[in-house]
Formats: sequence, structure tokens, C-alpha cells
Amino acid sequence: MAKQRTPVLKVSKLSKAYGSHAIVTDFSLEVWAGDAVALTGRNGAGKSTILRCLVGADKADGGTIEVCGNKLRESDPAIRRDLATVIDDLDFFPDLSVVEHLDLLARAHGLPDAEEAVDDVLHEVQLVAQSGQLPGTLSSGQRRRLALATAFVRPRKLLILDEPEQRLDVEGVEWLAKRLKAEREAGLAIVMASHEPTLVDAVATKTIRVGA
Amino acid sequence: MSKKSRRSGAPRQPAAATPADLPATPVAAPVPEPVPEPEPEPVRPIRVLHEVTPEPVSESALRTLMRDWRRGRATRHLWDMIQDGYVAVLATVMIGAMLVSVVIRAQGAVSACTSEGCLSSRTLLPWAALCGVLALTLMVSRIFGPVVASAAEGFWLMEAPIKRARILWGRLISVMAGAIVVAALFGGLVAALSGSTWSGVVRWAVAAGLGAGGLTAVAAEEQTADRTWVVRTLQWLVGVVGLAALMTVVAVAAGWLPNAGVFASNENRFDLVVSVAGAVLLVGAGAVAVLRLDEIRRARLVSGGSLVAGMQGAMYALDMSLMRDILVERDAIARGHVRPTKGHGTGLAALVYRDAQRLVRFPKQLILLLLSIVVPYAVGALGLGALSPVISGLVLLTAVVPLLGMMRVLSRTGGLARAFPFSTAQVRTAAMVVPAIATLVWVVAVTPAFLGLGTGSSHLSGADATIHAGVTGLAGLLGAVRWVTAKPPDYNKPMMQMGGFGAMPPGMIGNLIKGIDIVALVTLPILFGWSYWISVIIAGIAFFILRGSMNMNDLAAAQEEQKRQLDQAKTEAGLAKKKIPPPRR
Repeated sequence: MAKQRTPVLKVSKLSKAYGSHAIVTDFSLEVWAGDAVALTGRNGAGKSTILRCLVGADKADGGTIEVCGNKLRESDPAIRRDLATVIDDLDFFPDLSVVEHLDLLARAHGLPDAEEAVDDVLHEVQLVAQSGQLPGTLSSGQRRRLALATAFVRPRKLLILDEPEQRLDVEGVEWLAKRLKAEREAGLAIVMASHEPTLVDAVATKTIRVGA
Repeated sequence: MSKKSRRSGAPRQPAAATPADLPATPVAAPVPEPVPEPEPEPVRPIRVLHEVTPEPVSESALRTLMRDWRRGRATRHLWDMIQDGYVAVLATVMIGAMLVSVVIRAQGAVSACTSEGCLSSRTLLPWAALCGVLALTLMVSRIFGPVVASAAEGFWLMEAPIKRARILWGRLISVMAGAIVVAALFGGLVAALSGSTWSGVVRWAVAAGLGAGGLTAVAAEEQTADRTWVVRTLQWLVGVVGLAALMTVVAVAAGWLPNAGVFASNENRFDLVVSVAGAVLLVGAGAVAVLRLDEIRRARLVSGGSLVAGMQGAMYALDMSLMRDILVERDAIARGHVRPTKGHGTGLAALVYRDAQRLVRFPKQLILLLLSIVVPYAVGALGLGALSPVISGLVLLTAVVPLLGMMRVLSRTGGLARAFPFSTAQVRTAAMVVPAIATLVWVVAVTPAFLGLGTGSSHLSGADATIHAGVTGLAGLLGAVRWVTAKPPDYNKPMMQMGGFGAMPPGMIGNLIKGIDIVALVTLPILFGWSYWISVIIAGIAFFILRGSMNMNDLAAAQEEQKRQLDQAKTEAGLAKKKIPPPRR
């Protein structure tokens, strides 16, 4: 695939410390359309910290982050349009059902065929039977599927996932690997942290061992 | 890993030898001493527990054991805490004295009012307050238990071969006693503030206390039967009676009903009836509940205990929004399932439409707003019309908070807001639309109260009354937005020393007055008789800030970026100042 002139994600000399303890130092990365970068490494190596900085949930101490050529600002609508994230700070409306969450997101992003898109994603994440359930009553695995569905039901250019395999069953991990591979092959850029070798092998075009 | 564990956790490896350390001539390696093999531990006989005859467990001994554990692990005694927090104790005593003084003064002022509206309020407001207290007692009892056990107690104690009742009866008595005291205080306070005589204040206090105690006993008895519908029905009935009393206050004040004499003649009997009924329920239902305490399911006991623990955690941070979140989440889990509805529109319109659908789905969120319409009329009827914007604004704040559920979720964590392709200001504005429309309806409904309807005298023109009502509505709405969107205390930042209160995280004290500050800022100019345009301007500034137009993080980031670019330009131009090292001594 011919590469665009601007990378989807460009990170230069990112650094982040908690107090005097440096977690990330001079981390640089370029991700182009069709790339899938997997961050691996032991617990506490800084994978999630990097991802939280990349989505704007945490403020980096130094360095720059650009998404599709725009400097990262978490509340910038252009960034929010291009960037789909599934990290640990996703919240749900307690009084909206599963299907209503997806419908709301699809409509908010202006999808012309929102209902069809929602139906497709619901089937894919196998939450059709739970479509009327409120999020508080879902199991942890179902909540993870709903979180992934919120990223898949909307248009995006860059997908950032923090351990997406968490709480998924074996079939779920297999499905996720296929889905992410298809997304990558369709030209989407992916950055994910994972401890699941099968997922990393199936999806990643580049693997970075953090804290090595 | 902590430094200590880093030091002691891993075995220390010998440092690698460098060539300089190596001896010039080979030395014979020392012969390792033979390590004696450890003797195998003697095999102990397996103890088969089902062959053991258990000894009877003494519940009182267990209670004593638990008390000893707790006392034994306490690092400070109550007297130490009081000594350390003497500033807090003094402040509490002073504020308490001021409140009592205010109540006595208000009672004196209001009791002097002899208009029809004042008389009807004096007669009927204690009824409404009593019903409110009783409904609240039932609601709280149903949500928490009223008998609760912590998760640890549920696991370690409730599954043991003991009689739970012997552990739980003390708690039930404590809960009933607490309900009696709190309800009596509140009932007496409302009676005093509405101008009742001091004997009337005592009568209403006794009625509220005994009524609340009796209903707590009923709720406990229902808990033993694992039912909730009786308590729910009672709660609605009492609430409707309270609402009727409030509506009657307005109707009499407005002249729609002839006078409150018929209610006044029944006053003594009503509080007596409630007191007697409460006492009977307290003894009867309380006795049944105590006898059947063993039948309460462990899950129900622990569920209330977990809720109490969650609320305690939120209370520790003085985070009322978090407390409400816990209750809302619990309510949603209890409901579990809804019939999905179809969305409408795209972009921000989809958000607004879905917010309206949520309101239609859970119309009980509107009850408080409907009830709050009565407040400006009741305040006017009591002859306190000048205070109406402040009092009504504060009540409206609490009534609008339930309507801001969407804004709450979108502002408490960034994850969901980040999924929408809108700026923070756009999202918050969209989430304000439905509550703003509801507030507008409230403003229209209360404007006659500001015109002086029912008080017999009007000190405001039609336009002024409309503006005063509008400013009150704005104050309540913006106060609620502030309450919902305020950040919780930040425990990651350095603690601040707060005198006798000890160390506190930044933002903790601010949490106590969030929302109230906006209502005060917007309505006080009216109270002081200044131009209402000052209130409108303050409200405009508050709206601008609260909708997230002035994101401090973005401003700081922009400032940093400008500084970085400036430094870079200076470096490139060779104009960067040469740093002079500090002189060495």
C-alpha cells in the first residue's frame, strides 16, 4: 500500500514521570495507515502510560504527539473524530442499554446507516441477547465486548487499545485477532498494548518491547 | 516495589570480578563443605473435620472478640482526636450556636406574621415536612436494609453456626434510635422555622421521631420477610400526602382555598395520631423484626453493608456526586433491563434526543423538580419573599441534578466523552439542553410566586418578577451543572495542612460548597437590591466557564507550547541567554 505523506500518529521524545520516577523516557514512534504496532513488556513497564498519553488522558511531561498532522489536544473534535480508544477509563451511561450506547455513538458520528452498523457490530461482538441490558448488569467479559464495540461502531483512522484481550474468552481473542487484522489490512492504523502472543503475532506489523 | 522490599526481596548477587581483582597465580578452589540433607518432617495425621463435634458458639463472646479487635487496632482514642481537632470542634460548636440563633430569630419573625398565607404555612408546612421525613426514612431504610453487615462479617460471621439475630439485634436498635433522633431534629426545625409555638415544635418533633422510628421498624420487618413492595407503597403514599400538604399551602396562599382553619383545627390530632401510630409500630414491628432477624438473607445484609462502605468512601472525600453515582448505579442494576428505543438525528442532536428519551424513560427524575415549584410560593407565603431567589435557587439545584445524568457521566471520566467527535464545550452544552428546558418550565411556573401571588402584596412588576424568576432558574441550573461537573479531590497532589482539620487533598473543602457557591454568586445581588443585570452577567460568566469554554489544561498547554517555540527561536537566533553557574564556595 502506498504510504501517505503524513503519518497517522507521530510521537517524538515522549517522556512521563510519576514524581521522581521516570516511567517513559524519549519514546518516539511513527505509525502510518495500515500499520499495527504492539507494545509488549512486563507489568509496570509503561505501556499503559504511553497509551494514556497518546489518547490525551494523561499529560506527557515532554515530547510531542501528532494525530493525522494535528497536535494532540484531547478535546479537539478533529482528534476525537480520528481516534478511537479502548483504555481503562471508558465509562457507560448507567441508564442506557447496550444497543442504545452503540446507536448514540453511531449517530453522533453522523453515520447515515446507523441502525445497520449497530446491528452488524452487535452480532459481531455477540451481544444481541444483551442488547436491552443496562451496562451495570453485564459481566466483565460482556463489558469488554461493549467497550470494543464502541470503537468498531464509529468511523476512525487510528485505533488505540490497552490490553484488548482482557477478560475475553478464547473464542473472543480469536475473533478480536481476526477483526484487528482485517482493520489493519483495510488501512486502519492500530497501536495496542498486549500480553497475548497470539494476538500480537496475528495483528502486529511492528512490536516494541517497552522497558527492555 | 518499595526500597525495602528491593533491598530484602532478592538475594544479593556477588559483584562481578574485574581483571584487576583476579589473583596473579591460580589458587586451588576451596573444597565445598557437605551440606547435610534436611530431615523429613514427621507426617501428621489428617484431621477429618466432620468427625469433630463442634462446640456451641457464644455470639456474645464473638461480639466481644470483634470489639476487642477493633479497639486493639485503634491507634488513636476519641479524646486524642478531639484534642488534635480542637479547631474543628470549636468551629462546629460556633456554627451550631449560630444556627440555633438563626432558627430562634426566624421563628420569632415568622410567628409574628398573621396573614392568611403565613397561617396556612404555619399549619401545613410541618405536615409536609413530617411526610417528607417519613418518606425519606422509608427510602433510606429500603435502600440500605435497614439492617446491614459488612462484606467481612458476611463472609466470616454470617456463615458460621451462630444465631445471627444475636449479632444483629443491637444494630437494629441503633438504626431505629438514629432514625428517631434525626427525624425529631428535622421535624422540630421545620416547625420552628414555620413559626409554630415552642410546644408545637416539641409535638412535631416527637411525631416525626416516633413516626420515623416506627417506619424503620416496619422496613426491618419487611427485610426479614424479603419483601420491598410494602415499603415502596408506603413511601409513595406518604410522599403523596406530603405533596398534597404543600399544594394546599400554595392554594390557601393564592386564595384558591378559603382558609387553613379546617387544617389548623386538626393539627393537634394529626401529630398525636402519627406519634401513637409510630410508637405502636416501633414496638410491634420492631419486636417482630428482632424475632425474625435470623431470616434475613446474607446477600441482602451484605448488599446494604457494601453500599454503606461505598458511601463512607465517598463521604470521606466529601464527594456527594460520587455518593449519588453509587445510588444511581445501584438503581440501574436493580432495574437491569429496558426496552431499547430508537435514536433520532445525527451529531449533537442525537445526544440531545437521547437525553430527552432518558427523561421519558425515568420520569421519576422530574418529581423533585415538580415539588420544587411549590417552594417559591411557600417561601412567599411565609413572608420571606426577599429570600426567595436564594432559597428557591438552592432547592432548584437539588431538583435539577437528577436531570444532568448525561453530563455527569460525560464529565466524570474522559473515556466516553472522548468517543464523541465534539469538543468538551459542545458536549456539555448539548447535555444542558433538556435540563435547561425543564428549568424554563419551572421558571414559568414560579413567576406568579415572584409576583406576590398569595401573599396579598406585590413588590415587583411583571417584568421584574419574570427576571427574578429567570435569575433564580439560572442560578439553580448553573449550580447543578457545577455540582455535577466539579472535579473530585485530587489525592495525587501534595496534601495541604488545614490547621486543626489535619492534612487534606486540594479541592476537598471546595467539594462541600460546589454548586452552592454559584447559586450564592448569582442570587445575592438580587438579595442586596443591586441591579439584576449584575446577576445576569455573573450567570453568563459562570455558564462560559462551566460549559468548558475555558479549559485550563488547554490554556496551560498552549502557554507551554508558546514558551517552547520562543525558546527554540531564541536558540536558533543565538540569542539564548548563557546560563551562569552559581558561584562555588
